[in-house]
Amino acid sequence: MMLFRQSNLALEKDDTNRFLPWLIAFMVLLAALSVAGLLMLHQISSSFEHGIKDTMTIQIPAAENSRVDENHVKKALAALKQADGVLSSKRIASTEISELLKPWLGETAGSDGLPLPRIIDVEVDRSSDLSAEKLTDLLAPIIPGTTVDDHSVWLTSLVDTLRSTELIALAVVLLITLATIGTVIFTTRTGMGIHRRTIEVLHFVGAQDEFIARQFALRAFIVGLQGGFVGILLAAPILYLFDFVLKNLEDGLLPKASLDVSIWISVGAIIPVIALIAMATARSTVLKSLKKMV
Amino acid sequence: MAEVVRFENVGLRYGLGPEVLQDISFGLEAGSFHFLIGPSGAGKSSLLRLMYLAHRQTRGMISLFGRDVSVLPREQFPKIRRRIGVVFQDFRLLPHLSAFDNVALPLRVAGVRESEIRRHVEELLVWVALENHMDVRPPTMSGGQQQRVAIARAVIARPKILYADEPTGNVDDRIADRLMHLFEELNRLGTTVVIATHNEAIVQEFGRPVLKIDAGRLEIIPTGEANLESITAAKKVSE
Repeated sequence: MMLFRQSNLALEKDDTNRFLPWLIAFMVLLAALSVAGLLMLHQISSSFEHGIKDTMTIQIPAAENSRVDENHVKKALAALKQADGVLSSKRIASTEISELLKPWLGETAGSDGLPLPRIIDVEVDRSSDLSAEKLTDLLAPIIPGTTVDDHSVWLTSLVDTLRSTELIALAVVLLITLATIGTVIFTTRTGMGIHRRTIEVLHFVGAQDEFIARQFALRAFIVGLQGGFVGILLAAPILYLFDFVLKNLEDGLLPKASLDVSIWISVGAIIPVIALIAMATARSTVLKSLKKMV
Repeated sequence: MAEVVRFENVGLRYGLGPEVLQDISFGLEAGSFHFLIGPSGAGKSSLLRLMYLAHRQTRGMISLFGRDVSVLPREQFPKIRRRIGVVFQDFRLLPHLSAFDNVALPLRVAGVRESEIRRHVEELLVWVALENHMDVRPPTMSGGQQQRVAIARAVIARPKILYADEPTGNVDDRIADRLMHLFEELNRLGTTVVIATHNEAIVQEFGRPVLKIDAGRLEIIPTGEANLESITAAKKVSE
């Protein structure tokens, strides 16, 4: 019941406490967008890393098709099966190739008149010494003109770029946290200045520092929760819109990424986390300041 | 009788200013009753502030309840302060709390159960004739009513020592007399009482020992007829 009775300090009536929830709401809005962005980037980079990084693509150019028949392709697949470092190989059906090209070529990609290359996806063991050059040398006698595309070359730099962006998002979250801590310290000190005489009276009637600090901490926790809820309420429509745009992106442009339940839970967790940070900050600020009093 | 307060060559200065209290030495026995008199600016409030641990002395030794407070860690102060009741000259009531909650404050701070708090506070507010003002907040009370709330707050936790700074300054003679009898009653129950006052009639009427402070120096006048002369002298200086 102590929680709901008016505090001895009447902190809820301070002017500083009128602005603090809005400041925290703004911080939480930024933090929610950063956390969601961070987790989605992580989803995308992980998808790149696990889905494509261990594969190479063998492309038999369309121009060569007239001289290449199914037997050549079967021979190539058999040779790949025997090769060291090849875990599996799979021929991509022409309908699937048409689907992959649709975002760039539209419906033309499916027309019979368009010459399409034959493609074989190869899953490779990166710990072996297999390279694109070795695969090219292996296949050249069977199907001349075959090219091997090793995705890891360009994916490594793409994944590195994504990871750097993740670090920047993480730094933004940390900066927001520090800014929140700074704001709480400032408002708590201002509150202590406003209530100096009341704090003195509490001391004179025998209050421990902890008793006084608890009141500031509880108030900061409540303000943190209020600000947190408002911040998430503001962030939710933006994130929904972002999710909607991502879900409607054409297939093939980016690996599938969306605001799944785990991301929503992480974003929601900002509310109690920010409230606890505010509470701990207020408590330590008060205890530190009270030590300077008699 | 054991001493609950002991000052030995105590001096106090604020910042780099001159000493406002010089070589103060005295002791208060448990259960004693003293008046503290002196002209305005003589150091009465400063002496009281040292006695209820609102300040630390610049030099000398202060012992409360047999413990040297100059070497006592801050964390131990609340324990000592809970045994001291103070009635401030400006009351220092919390304006946002009702009279009931103001009086209940020392008990809540000490973690007493709410049911017990209610019983004790209501009883005491009846005693100071404020039973019809329990839910009223101090800003809407008269000076005299506020003073009685302040006194009730000071005595609610049955302190071992009670300091009162001009407790009868804002009340009529009838209430002043009633309050003084409350202090006497507490004293009879064993509380050591120190009352800072300019009211010479009260000092004469009660005939208790006097701590007279002037220009930062303390003189102890045991009791009796000498009081009238001393108080009159102190009053003249203050005027």
